Amino acid sequence: MTPLLEFADVYYRYPGQERYALDGLTVAFPGGENIALIGRNGAGKSTLFLHCNGLYRPDTGEVRFGGRPLAYDRKSLKVLRQHIGVVFQNADEQLFSASVAQDISFGPFNLGLTEQEVRRRVQMAAELCEVVEMLERPTHALSGGEKARVALAGVLAMDPDILISDELMANLDPWGRRRIFDIFKRLHRRGKTIVLATHDLNVVRRWATYVVVMAGGRAAFAGSPDDLLANQAVLDETGLAEVWFDEF
Amino acid sequence: MHIIDCYAYSNKIRAVDPAQKAGLAVIVLLLCLVFNHPAVSLLAVAWMWGLAVWQAGLPVLIFGRVLVAELFFLCLATVAVALSISLTAPANPEAWLLPVGPLWISSTPADIYKAANLVLRALGAASAMNFLALTTPLVDLVDLLRRLRFSPILIDLMTVMYRFIFVLLDSLNRMYMAQDSRLGYSSYWRGMSSAGLLGSRLFVDAFQRSRRLQTALDARGYEGGHLQVLPTIYYRSNKLLGMSAAAILSLTAVWLVL
Repeated sequence: MTPLLEFADVYYRYPGQERYALDGLTVAFPGGENIALIGRNGAGKSTLFLHCNGLYRPDTGEVRFGGRPLAYDRKSLKVLRQHIGVVFQNADEQLFSASVAQDISFGPFNLGLTEQEVRRRVQMAAELCEVVEMLERPTHALSGGEKARVALAGVLAMDPDILISDELMANLDPWGRRRIFDIFKRLHRRGKTIVLATHDLNVVRRWATYVVVMAGGRAAFAGSPDDLLANQAVLDETGLAEVWFDEF
Repeated sequence: MHIIDCYAYSNKIRAVDPAQKAGLAVIVLLLCLVFNHPAVSLLAVAWMWGLAVWQAGLPVLIFGRVLVAELFFLCLATVAVALSISLTAPANPEAWLLPVGPLWISSTPADIYKAANLVLRALGAASAMNFLALTTPLVDLVDLLRRLRFSPILIDLMTVMYRFIFVLLDSLNRMYMAQDSRLGYSSYWRGMSSAGLLGSRLFVDAFQRSRRLQTALDARGYEGGHLQVLPTIYYRSNKLLGMSAAAILSLTAVWLVL
């Protein structure tokens, strides 16, 4: 079976920098899985994410979606961004409108849907993310957890196949996180693929069905959580053994 | 959250079509300016205050507090109308005089009346705007401008600026607290230098935020151009419409009679 999303020997360097942020990355993300993406700060996780829906373009190498290499013309990008939703770390920086309903409606309108369909999508996403009672509230009156769910709803209203979440939960308390995982559970049941950047062993053990470990711009490991936890060499090399298992 | 903003979102006529509220406010404002009669202005203040309390369900004192703040500025601004300063004593027998060194500060009943009339006229107009500001959040006003076919680029700018006022205020607040807790404001000069750092840091912060916002918008399929969003559905309040008509008619009637 072809993987849903794959990177083939991708190199990418930020303008004006020596080091490659993606240094020959080759990795595949299978469809329908809960994928945990692990890696230290600077390992290339965010750069990888920004490649997924064509926001960045590889210097060399190829990103493929559904077996086909990404095309970077306007029309292809539009289709791609419908299929691959990315939600970023700081919700405050993604919400541009002071009206929650209006913010969620932005993505669906960009897909060229009719107003009636957009209303339906907004309602659907709001129900999925449990923000229905916030629709008429101003964005700046929401709590951090509520903002994160609204940002998520704004992406899910486009009904993507893959949801990529770049440390969306970094600033949330465990209860706020729990509610995000509730949303992920519903998405998983609908057959969606979720890629989540995380450092949490618990998430890897209890939520993930597939794990990718990034180190130095490459994939150091890709496989099931059990295989990762049994692979002492990788755990030692990537420093994960130290943070997950060493006593304080 | 800012207090005016808070009431704008939570009042009882929030969901009424902003066109209706803005229409009333603009007409009352124009009547105050055109009729230019103290009784009309006072009646306008009473109507707007009354409608804000009775229809929008705002606390009585909120409207008053905003009005008092405006009154303060209006009085300051009209001092120059009420008083005149000259080097020689004015000949007008009605004038009140106050010598200060070589100068004469003087005022006449006519000047006082003129100043008071000006204050009232502005206050009437301001109360109409207060009614609008306290019952209609900015997102609804922007929506109204969109319906009136305002330039889309201006509307998008207003949308994003209004949102980012709160985001930047928030980061300003956090940066200030971080500086203060490291004694950044422990003396006057230290405070000045900290404030300078804060300003430049905030500028950089705003710039980086705008780039990340752009990335996030692109990720949601933004292709440049107009930021299209759902128009809000409002309802028409016949009760408010009736009262608006009554207010406008009574203002006109007072002017005709007096």
